[in-house]
Amino acid sequence: MAIEPSRTTVPEGIPGSLLPSRPRFAAVRFGEAPFAWLLVLPAVLGVGLVAFFPLLYSLWLSFTDVNLLRMTGPAIELFGLRLPLYRFVGVQNYARVFADPLYWESLGRTVYFVGAFVVEATLVGLGMALVLHERFPGRPIMRSLLLVPWSLSRIVVGLLWIGLLDFEFGALNGVLWNAGLIEQHISFFKHGWGALNVLVSVYMWNQAPFATLLFLAAMQSIAEDLYSAAEVDGAGYWQRFWYVTLPAVRPILFLVLVLCTVNGFLMLDLIYILTMGGPGHETTTVSWLGYQTSFTFFKFGPGTAILYTLTFLCLLLTFIYHRLILARFDPEA
Amino acid sequence: MTTMSRRTFVGSAGMAAAALAGGWPDPARADKPLSFSGWVFKPDTVKDYVTFYNQKHGGQVTYEAIPWAQYHPTMETRAFAGETVDVMYCNHNNRERWYENGLIRSVDDLPGTDELKKKMTPANLDSLKSKDGTKLLGLPYFTSLFILIYNEPMLQQAGIKAPARTWDELVEHCTKLKRDKVSDTPYLPNWNSSPSGTMPQVMTDCFSEGASVFDARNQLIVDQEPGAARAMERAARVFKAELVNPEVLTKTSSTDTHRLFWTGRYAYHTNHSYYLKTIAGEPENSKLAPKKAKMAMYPGTGQTYMWTDSYVVNAKSKVMEDAWKFTRFLGGNLNGDWYVQRQWCLISGLDNPYPEMYNHPEIIQSYDRWIDLKLLREQYKKGKVIAAYKEPWYGEYDTKAVPIVHNMIRGTVSVPKGLKDMVALQKSLA
Repeated sequence: MAIEPSRTTVPEGIPGSLLPSRPRFAAVRFGEAPFAWLLVLPAVLGVGLVAFFPLLYSLWLSFTDVNLLRMTGPAIELFGLRLPLYRFVGVQNYARVFADPLYWESLGRTVYFVGAFVVEATLVGLGMALVLHERFPGRPIMRSLLLVPWSLSRIVVGLLWIGLLDFEFGALNGVLWNAGLIEQHISFFKHGWGALNVLVSVYMWNQAPFATLLFLAAMQSIAEDLYSAAEVDGAGYWQRFWYVTLPAVRPILFLVLVLCTVNGFLMLDLIYILTMGGPGHETTTVSWLGYQTSFTFFKFGPGTAILYTLTFLCLLLTFIYHRLILARFDPEA
Repeated sequence: MTTMSRRTFVGSAGMAAAALAGGWPDPARADKPLSFSGWVFKPDTVKDYVTFYNQKHGGQVTYEAIPWAQYHPTMETRAFAGETVDVMYCNHNNRERWYENGLIRSVDDLPGTDELKKKMTPANLDSLKSKDGTKLLGLPYFTSLFILIYNEPMLQQAGIKAPARTWDELVEHCTKLKRDKVSDTPYLPNWNSSPSGTMPQVMTDCFSEGASVFDARNQLIVDQEPGAARAMERAARVFKAELVNPEVLTKTSSTDTHRLFWTGRYAYHTNHSYYLKTIAGEPENSKLAPKKAKMAMYPGTGQTYMWTDSYVVNAKSKVMEDAWKFTRFLGGNLNGDWYVQRQWCLISGLDNPYPEMYNHPEIIQSYDRWIDLKLLREQYKKGKVIAAYKEPWYGEYDTKAVPIVHNMIRGTVSVPKGLKDMVALQKSLA
């Protein structure tokens, strides 16, 4: 920041002493960059306080022996809040997590869950966007209804699907039974594999509309001229999709893949409502394991260590997606 | 005609004005507000008795209900942030931990405790004590135990004259009911994944087979107990024979599980005693009300798992006198009429460890609408408590053992291996 003398031009013929004197602060001048920093500083501080500080603190917790009820020892004092630093144990929590076979089983299940969810949500989202991009009667209503599953809280989504799939009360079993198509009710949650796939599908039902919304927005920004030119060149529907639509929605595809991946890794509430990680451990994912370790066993050190492995995986996959989808993408092309 | 002196007139007019302005004069108000938190269970009932206390005893109690699943972590997090909640609910699994870490205090030295101790049944009193057995850590919120519930019309329809007295009879009845197409899945054990489901149910079934689950040093010994193996073999057998709704394993609470019995499609159900109140006492919800579902003595030895949840006092409370007075109102007999304990009996069928209450005509009349009270009291005599939950590893063991038990039930792990895995798990945590 520099304080410069006033550069106001004094009109000729008027003695400077007759001009009204300006307050001194009016003479304060900033360079462009410092001024920009000054403007964004409150936002940066806010984000730092609510995002980066908790992130760093939880990262620290993953290297410590946490007991929430221990009130003594070194701590950070922040706005009257005391945040204990706990005993540093190095990578002990991570070593413990990696030595637990349940973690690796859960990781395998998580990778399957995320893979299946990303593929389903992306394909269904893209498919619905293609349909809703076409002109047909009732399209505005369809576009509005599309958002309903996404706008529901996941607790509600879970309860809704229990209502549909329950062995005893489920509407689906009721319909199939009344139609004479089954001899006894189907148990969708009896076997772990089936239960895991039900979780994937229910989560896709909840999240695919958001992907649709993003794809639809991207499709609407594609110039009609491109389609016309393609048609003139004799391109059919799928060729237009492959050579015009898909390249144009590539940045959005990247966004959808990243969001679906992150959301898939973090999905917890549907497990809580639908399966509680069971039967056995067969729907236990890493996020559920981290939640249980932290909030059921009160082991916040290993719990945060488990969840930080997810953070690392999310970052890694985002990097890979970027390399695969966006690295050679030229927005001007 | 009687005359009124000027002094009497002025006094009476003053009382009348006070009554019109704001009711009868309040008793002396407590100087400072008192905070009270509990998990969500009939919060409106809790609000009612908090209001009653504030009005009758001049309290300034503020009540907050927190969802069950987050309750204990939330209370710990709040303590960690420096907040003091004066009086709290605490379930039996967390009580010792809270005490050892200085969140709550023992109540032995507070006035009136000795009198309450004398009124409690010894088993419940032991449950409420610290691990070393020297300190009372709270007053009872409620006590409960597992009971056997049966669907009388269904048994009659199948020509079964009396409910099962042994496990063999129960399996035989269920097999017949399935074979005769009276019920697809006649048996509904409480094998849900929550802490109130699978593990207490397994302990109950082991006790009913005469097996111990923990030894005197709180070490798990199920792998050495033939009764435990019998209980688990039977569980696997009934699951394989499809006598059980398979989705009971992924139900998320005992409440959800007991609601299945409302349908009238099951013959036998094992669950916490108070759930029979909604099954047999709420015709608006249950097809088995009024009193079509009944309680029978638990099969085998009749012993079932019993536990006591509690009200505890924060060790850092700055209004200790008021906090204790309110705790006695909740878990004791401050009014001389067991107000709160009686409310829970009447409204929800939640029992308490004070046997004298069950002689009260109002309680007898209320219970008579949904359960055989004499039989329930007999069942309580066979209630069995454990001390292992006072160990620091218990909560984690209790949760991590559920998948092992489910694997034994589903037959994906053999019973001997599963029981050994449970013991290995407990040893790894101890």
